[in-house]
Amino acid sequence: MPKKKLVRLFATFADFDKAREVLMSLKELDLREACVEDIELYSPIEHPEVEEILGEIQQPIERFTFFGAITGAILTFTFVAGVAQSMFTYQPQGGKPVIPIPPDMVITYEGTILFGVYITVAAFLIYARLPKRLKKYYSPKVSEDQIAVEVDVYPEHVARVKEVLKSCGAEDIREVRS
Amino acid sequence: MDTMKDIEWAKINRDVLRSLETPRPAFWGMVAICVVFVLAGVAAEIYQYREGLGVALMNRPHFWQLYIANFVFWIGMSHSGTLLSAILLLTKADWRKPINRFAEAMTLFSILTAAFFPIIHLGRVWNFYWVAPYPNERTIWPNFRSPLLWDAAAIFTYASSSALFLYLGMIPDLAICRDNARGWRKKLYSVLALGWSGSAREWAAFRKSYLLIACFLVPLAVSVHSIVASDFAMSIMPGMHITSFPPYFVAGALYSGCAAIITLFVLLRYVFRFEAYMTEDILEKVGKLTFAIAMAWNYLNFVEYASIFYSNDMFEKEVAIQKLTGPYAWVVWGMFLCGTVAPFALAFRKVRRNMWAMFVLSLILQLAMWLERFQIVSPPLASNHEPWTWNVVWPGLVQLTITAASFAWFTLLFLVFCKVFPSVSMYEVKELVFHQRKVGGRAELTDLDKLKDEAIATEERLG
Repeated sequence: MPKKKLVRLFATFADFDKAREVLMSLKELDLREACVEDIELYSPIEHPEVEEILGEIQQPIERFTFFGAITGAILTFTFVAGVAQSMFTYQPQGGKPVIPIPPDMVITYEGTILFGVYITVAAFLIYARLPKRLKKYYSPKVSEDQIAVEVDVYPEHVARVKEVLKSCGAEDIREVRS
Repeated sequence: MDTMKDIEWAKINRDVLRSLETPRPAFWGMVAICVVFVLAGVAAEIYQYREGLGVALMNRPHFWQLYIANFVFWIGMSHSGTLLSAILLLTKADWRKPINRFAEAMTLFSILTAAFFPIIHLGRVWNFYWVAPYPNERTIWPNFRSPLLWDAAAIFTYASSSALFLYLGMIPDLAICRDNARGWRKKLYSVLALGWSGSAREWAAFRKSYLLIACFLVPLAVSVHSIVASDFAMSIMPGMHITSFPPYFVAGALYSGCAAIITLFVLLRYVFRFEAYMTEDILEKVGKLTFAIAMAWNYLNFVEYASIFYSNDMFEKEVAIQKLTGPYAWVVWGMFLCGTVAPFALAFRKVRRNMWAMFVLSLILQLAMWLERFQIVSPPLASNHEPWTWNVVWPGLVQLTITAASFAWFTLLFLVFCKVFPSVSMYEVKELVFHQRKVGGRAELTDLDKLKDEAIATEERLG
């Protein structure tokens, strides 16, 4: 069976505190009529409360960080120890250990943090899906003081969802058909 | 509590974006002065480059002098940004929000300034890349056992991590700038904002990554200055071979950094008209923090001298006595006066809330920290293990000019940053306003409940 084409609605709200109400209304509607496919909230500041409604966003960035840091530690120590080993034949150490642990640990420590930070930034870009082009219907008001809700709706339910958005105080509703 | 809850979000955008376009005329005056000093520094460096390090009056036993003292000073200055941003972020201290951006920028620019000094100090500037470990025709690698190499690794890690931390934290604000700018600024911000649109997915990734990097930056900052301390403590020079140097350096770094934050706080507030955001309450909190760190630094200073006299080591004692009574005594006593006595002014609320008093005091504290770095480097070299090399040398004109240029360079970078990028974090101030409104709202509700209870109680009594 061919998949139905969805209609995307992009509604902006002047009141930041409306976010919770809008999302609750849309979720309720979806539970009753199964008319919404995907909901996304855009806001000028972080709004962790919405995760309670939209569900937790799975982003295991800390795993990247952990493995990045471990990789950094191993690579740095191997590099420093490898250099010491390769130098052994023509730079006499005068009885000192070929691979000295305490000084190598200092460099390893820095390498751990360096790789940990770099990989965390890479994970951020992956999970935030950046860099990307701005959507044509993006409203600059979202970076100021408004919130926006982007919702993918089945065509036959567009009017109903618009009604809900309006009842929650939507200032502007744009319809995007792909 | 800072009274920011009545500021409208759109006004926050307007105020901060206006600072990018129309600062006070004093801004241009400061830029002009900085450019003159930087040019003088470049001329001094060219002269030193052509003639050799002799013109900087660096000769046996004074192989290290002002350049290294400046290096330590600037590395120390960089610590405050991390302290404010990372530690206060992790401890959820909201008052950091209007000032963390410029503190982070300060971190980055002070590291970039510090990184110049080992290169200038090299003399053979053209060979500076030898410190980088890469396979080469010389078939020789850097000595990873040397604290100087640890320094290079630590500074590179700190500089790049701080730059990423600053950039990451700025992305939502760059999007605001992108949405409001025109011309070249629009192009610049569009590229740097990476297409940020403020979606819940972006905010969730942002929150997590920012916190994770903050967790890395705290131990990193401690390690960087501990390693700088190791440059001295790992030597066998009396006056430098001191166990308590790493924590002493870290405390000194935080001290000078906090003082620098106060200086820049007052300057930015005036030049960019940030009176509504950089409030007296925040200044007072920074003042209290500085006072606490000053006391920690004083304690470690005391420990340093106490351990020298308890150990009864002849050479250490001799150097300490020379420091306190010899030709460098005024530097050491000046440090005590400015760094130990002066911060007690911070115990007074009136001082902590007075912008210009805090500005002057912050300059005094920074002078103390600069003198501290100089007295760590020069006096021990003047009276070391070999009495026949004892020699008192003061920095010459070339060193002093390059030192002045470094301050101008730092200020110039900072001013240019504040002119191009928002120096107050708009989205974080909005968060602060939002949370304060919420707390304020709750307080009002609580008050209403209280009134209701009182009314019921009164009615019952009357009834």
